[in-house]
Amino acid sequence: MTDSFDPPYPNYDILRKWDSPSYNQITRDVLTERLTAVPQRQFLDEQEWRLLQAICDQLVPQPERTDPVPITPFIDAALTENRTNGTRFAGIPAMREAWRKGLAAIRAEAMAQHDTDFVSLDAHRQEALLHRINDGDAEPAHWDGMPAQRFFRSVLLKEVLAIYYAHPAAQSEIGFGGPAAPRGYVRMGADRMDPWEAPADRRNR
Amino acid sequence: MPLVEHLSPRAIAGRAPDVFRHGGWVPMREYGDDEEVDFTIVGTGAGGGTLAAKLAEAGFSVVALDAGPFWRPLEDFASDERHQDKLYWLDERISEGNDPIELGGNNSGRSVGGSTVHYQMVALRFRPEWFRSRTTLGYGHDWPVDWRRMWECYAEVEDALKISGPLTYPWGPKRGRYPYREHELNASAEVLARGCEELGVDWSACPTATVSARRGLSPHCVYRGFCKIGCATNAKQSTLNTFIPRALAAGAEIRDLSMVTRVETGADGRATGVVYQRDGQVRRQRARHVVVAGYSIETPRLLLNSASPKHPDGLANSSGLVGRALMVHTNHAVWGRFQEEIRWYKGPPSLAVCEHWNYADDEKDFFGGYAYMSQGPLPTDFAKTLAESEGIFGTELRRRMADYNHMAGLKIVGETMPQERNRVELADETDRYGVPLARVTYSMCENDRQLADHSLEFMRNALSAAGGQELFQSGGTAHLMGGCRMGFSREDSVVDGDGRSWDVGNLWICDGSLFPTGGGVNPSMTIMALAVHIADRIKTLAGQDAL
Amino acid sequence: MCLLTDSAMKNAPDCRRFTCAPSSIGSPAPSDRGTETGLTTGRVLGALGLAAAGFLVLRAAERNRLQPQKQADRSRRADAAIQMGRASSLLAGSVFADSAMEHLRGGYHRRAMYVAPAMAGATLAASTSSRARLSRRNADLRDGIYLAGIATGLTGLGFHLWNISKRPGGATRMNNFFYAAPIGAPGALVASGLYGLAAGRLVRAPQMTSRQEGRLVGSMTALNILATSAEAGLLHFRSAFQNPVMFLPVIAPPAAAVALAAAVARPGRQMIKIARAACGTTVATGLAGAAFHVWGVHRMHGGWHNWRQNLLAGPPIAAPPSFAGLGLAGLGALDLLEMEAQP
Ligand SMILES: Cc1cc2nc3c(=O)[nH]c(=O)nc-3n(C[C@H](O)[C@H](O)[C@H](O)COP(=O)(O)OP(=O)(O)OC[C@H]3O[C@@H](n4cnc5c(N)ncnc54)[C@H](O)[C@@H]3O)c2cc1C
Ligand code: SF4
Repeated sequence: MTDSFDPPYPNYDILRKWDSPSYNQITRDVLTERLTAVPQRQFLDEQEWRLLQAICDQLVPQPERTDPVPITPFIDAALTENRTNGTRFAGIPAMREAWRKGLAAIRAEAMAQHDTDFVSLDAHRQEALLHRINDGDAEPAHWDGMPAQRFFRSVLLKEVLAIYYAHPAAQSEIGFGGPAAPRGYVRMGADRMDPWEAPADRRNR
Repeated sequence: MPLVEHLSPRAIAGRAPDVFRHGGWVPMREYGDDEEVDFTIVGTGAGGGTLAAKLAEAGFSVVALDAGPFWRPLEDFASDERHQDKLYWLDERISEGNDPIELGGNNSGRSVGGSTVHYQMVALRFRPEWFRSRTTLGYGHDWPVDWRRMWECYAEVEDALKISGPLTYPWGPKRGRYPYREHELNASAEVLARGCEELGVDWSACPTATVSARRGLSPHCVYRGFCKIGCATNAKQSTLNTFIPRALAAGAEIRDLSMVTRVETGADGRATGVVYQRDGQVRRQRARHVVVAGYSIETPRLLLNSASPKHPDGLANSSGLVGRALMVHTNHAVWGRFQEEIRWYKGPPSLAVCEHWNYADDEKDFFGGYAYMSQGPLPTDFAKTLAESEGIFGTELRRRMADYNHMAGLKIVGETMPQERNRVELADETDRYGVPLARVTYSMCENDRQLADHSLEFMRNALSAAGGQELFQSGGTAHLMGGCRMGFSREDSVVDGDGRSWDVGNLWICDGSLFPTGGGVNPSMTIMALAVHIADRIKTLAGQDAL
Repeated sequence: MCLLTDSAMKNAPDCRRFTCAPSSIGSPAPSDRGTETGLTTGRVLGALGLAAAGFLVLRAAERNRLQPQKQADRSRRADAAIQMGRASSLLAGSVFADSAMEHLRGGYHRRAMYVAPAMAGATLAASTSSRARLSRRNADLRDGIYLAGIATGLTGLGFHLWNISKRPGGATRMNNFFYAAPIGAPGALVASGLYGLAAGRLVRAPQMTSRQEGRLVGSMTALNILATSAEAGLLHFRSAFQNPVMFLPVIAPPAAAVALAAAVARPGRQMIKIARAACGTTVATGLAGAAFHVWGVHRMHGGWHNWRQNLLAGPPIAAPPSFAGLGLAGLGALDLLEMEAQP
């Protein structure tokens, strides 16, 4: 994936509000931890980790960033702690097993289609392969009874997006107001913003 | 995000957290496990929390247990979606059926205050006819409570939560003025209003459970828009900062992080108390009456897991209806891009509502109704909607997300039919407390689909009339209702119109699982109103020595 | 730094929550100081406001008492002129600050929004400039400014009505009266201009009898008070009269308006005395109102620490002094009425 993302709020950074009343103490604590203590690999093995990283690069490509938002480490951390999300859809095993199985299946898909590891595929092929799964065209044989599309959308993609868009860099890029306690907002109408929000969308100016 | 199992109880040693102050405490009366209290209540959400306050205020001794933590919103709630996952019931449940429902953060809370800690504060009443939907509208079941009685209970609840609402509500019979005035409309609510004006249907500022002016220790809402992940200002009127403090002040004990695993029954089949786990210990609370208020999945799960020789199919289950007729609300939505910046993250997410299709019977060819509200999803929430409904990821998704500030949406709370095949059962696998996991089966019926399709078409028209472009739609569900319905006879329901089990005279249910039908509005006001009703009935019965 | 009151202190013996873990991202800052804390500040402010108001009432009453009965009409008229000037200043000052804030809230998205504070500022300047140097030319210039202020106020009224009408539901929706541009606010600028003009007339040779002058100003003031009170009532109703003291501006000033109207109708000694007290109370209400609004801002979430939000979202501090201005105008009108009440 080479075409890149053109940010509508290029100079906006919600972290600049750090010392303002938009951030309360617990928000600072939570974000400090997220930004400074990126977890180390514990649960996944090295191969799985690299595979997951390659997948994440396709799900949320960040070619323009020198310091991309880390995603894999937080998935690994959640698996280490055996976190669950409250729903286990039929056919999908418990979280840890589901991820292992899903990664193995994607590796198998790559092997079957291209005779090589997913990680070594070029970006275009990687993306196409993931699209097939997303569109429901995975090869059931590789998935050992696990519904591939459901795993892809409801487990994998959801978790990746939850991690990415919880990151200040991702929130800045879409012009989200970001943390807002105790200070919230005053100006509620269309095209009206408070001075502590992102300035108007570049495309609208 | 802290895991529930790593937290320690706060409501101990004669005091409970003061939800209104950093590090604050309020005194709390405590009861011994062996002390037989009048009522022990399982769950402190919309149903349980409200009932705890009302019963304690009536002079009963009350111990209310909740599996979740006791938060102080001011210091515990971060402006961070991921961290705030701590408010939800994240233990695994198995979801099956043709249209398996998403659980967890989608519909289940786990805190003192229950799901109201993260509800979006839409505070609507049922349409009166829905309490007799079988008789007057031809589907579902009648409720064993009269709508006029419910109308009184709604008024009490609305006053207890100081609902901010319009001076006159356009639909249904006259209701008194809401205690607080409606909020200013944000841009996303104005989109809904414009759409309705264009199509010639009524709209209204949404009655909302967050204050539009100071109320005691609750400040005026600051319009930060994080309501769905917990209000860090206490402007939101949840059970946690309304009924729970009342319950404590009236002498109830609230036990946080206490997971009830079983309701115990004696040789005579009557309930004697509950078994629960707190801080790694298995304990028992004796009680003259047990109230189960764990919501539509945990309530049936607990009852089914409390089977005994006298109750081989689970407690209160002689009808076989425990766990049956689980309902959701369909949550279909239409989204569109607007030229101007809407910035829907500001303010409570749903400040405007259209209930037209809950009342216009003649113009539709399906049973049930729906309301739709303006929307304001937080970033990860909306990213998931985009990915799921548009089937996109990668740079395309990032690009679409870049329009976050230009988006507006309309989303329904759509009534679904009570179908007995939709149910909660026990799976073979057990959780860390040794309780079998819930297996939830859900399938939509033809009528549910018709309703959703109708709403999508209508909302498409409304959104484009308001100026929305590049429309797309999404599906999904919200809320849970039913699973232990109340009714008129022991064959056809789990409890009577007072919430009392037909089988076990001192076992009560007081939560969303009571609903015989789902209605086309968000459920919490109705759950709280039922709790008020049940509390009043208990008082009356106690007065007649009929408990 | 720990900003806790005694009661919160007792509950939270340590201040650790205010110390931020060192981080590379930002420096520690005390964030949401408890909004419930520091009630004392609010009480002190409220008390100060009430004291100031009380002081003014007393002074007004005293002046009344000390006034030698046989003072020359000329100086009575001059006194009334001074009251009118003050009324005009207070109203203009109130409009200046309030419209500056409210239009800031509106983001000054239309150039015209600068006109209101600008004209209020000009009116303020005109009404406070020294009366001693009142040359004929200056007086004409001042009148010109007042007239421009009045025109601005009327145009503003039109704009505000238009603003309401173009919102969804227009004038059929309470939401728009609660939250769209307030109808009454520009009226205060009109009133300010009128009092400025009146002050100018009063230092010139009389063109009508003092009683006529008093009646004119007095009835206008009674109407202004009622209108302002209606506006305060609407906004306090929007806030559900959540604090009983919010009833004050819908009780005291209308009572003054009635008393004033009665005095206009029958300017007897007794009635004038009553009306004078009532107008004094209106002055006090205006000043106390500002103090209460200061307290109200403090009680918003995040308090003064969150001033950028709360000054705009909280109760408008600059609005209540309008009542003080109207009260003074009422006192001036009574001065005029009293002149003919003399034997
Ligand atoms: C994201 C979201 C938004 C919502 N928005 C709205 C809205 O805008 N308007 C509206 O009206 N409704 C809304 N709702 C729905 C509303 O919150 C619920 O319907 C309502 O709170 C349910 O009340 P309840 O008492 O039945 O259960 P809950 O409020 O969920 O309370 C159940 C409590 O029981 C506890 N519990 C369960 N089992 C056990 C056990 N075995 N031992 C101990 N404790 C137990 C749980 O921890 C929980 O705290 C929303 C819900 C969600 C999830
Ligand atoms: S918008 Fe209001 S209710 Fe929602 S989180 Fe903010 S203060 Fe609370």
